[in-house]
Amino acid sequence: MNLVIMAMILALLIPIYEAWKNDEVWQRMLAFASIATKTAIMALVISVLRDDWMIGIVAVIILSVGNAALMLLAHVIKRINDVSN
Amino acid sequence: MLNVLSYTCIGLGIIFWFWGTSHLLGNRSILFKLHSLSVSDTLGSMSIIIGLLIKIPSEWPLLILAIISLAIWNTVLGYVLAYCSSSGDNYERE
Repeated sequence: MNLVIMAMILALLIPIYEAWKNDEVWQRMLAFASIATKTAIMALVISVLRDDWMIGIVAVIILSVGNAALMLLAHVIKRINDVSN
Repeated sequence: MLNVLSYTCIGLGIIFWFWGTSHLLGNRSILFKLHSLSVSDTLGSMSIIIGLLIKIPSEWPLLILAIISLAIWNTVLGYVLAYCSSSGDNYERE
């Protein structure tokens, strides 16, 4: 199971590198969306690994609230782009 | 037998993750990346959670909730990102 966590951390590094490399706002939003989902799933795997419900509940909350926040941010960026054009 | 099945599901999920994020590195259009990313992230995460479900069935309500919230939120996030990023050129007022 530790190997699974290691592989997940590796899979997490790629979007982080992409977010650092790319400076276009929508590419970064894409990378952050991918990071958010991956970290939530990793927290879920760790909660099952330790057989602890609380971390699992936190992971599910991160999953839904994190994605909701990214949606709001996307709409805010869209409004800013509309106003600036 | 169950252990092998859960590890194959988790392995499949991780392969989906790597496949999805590999598209992120290429410099293709936003929508192409978004499509491959949201498909692979959602399906990969779902197979990982199913793998976890097989491994420890005692926490099934939590994992079912995770699968449902993942299916809804990830697809809607993909849709919102596609809508917001591609609406820069046409000016439709909602």
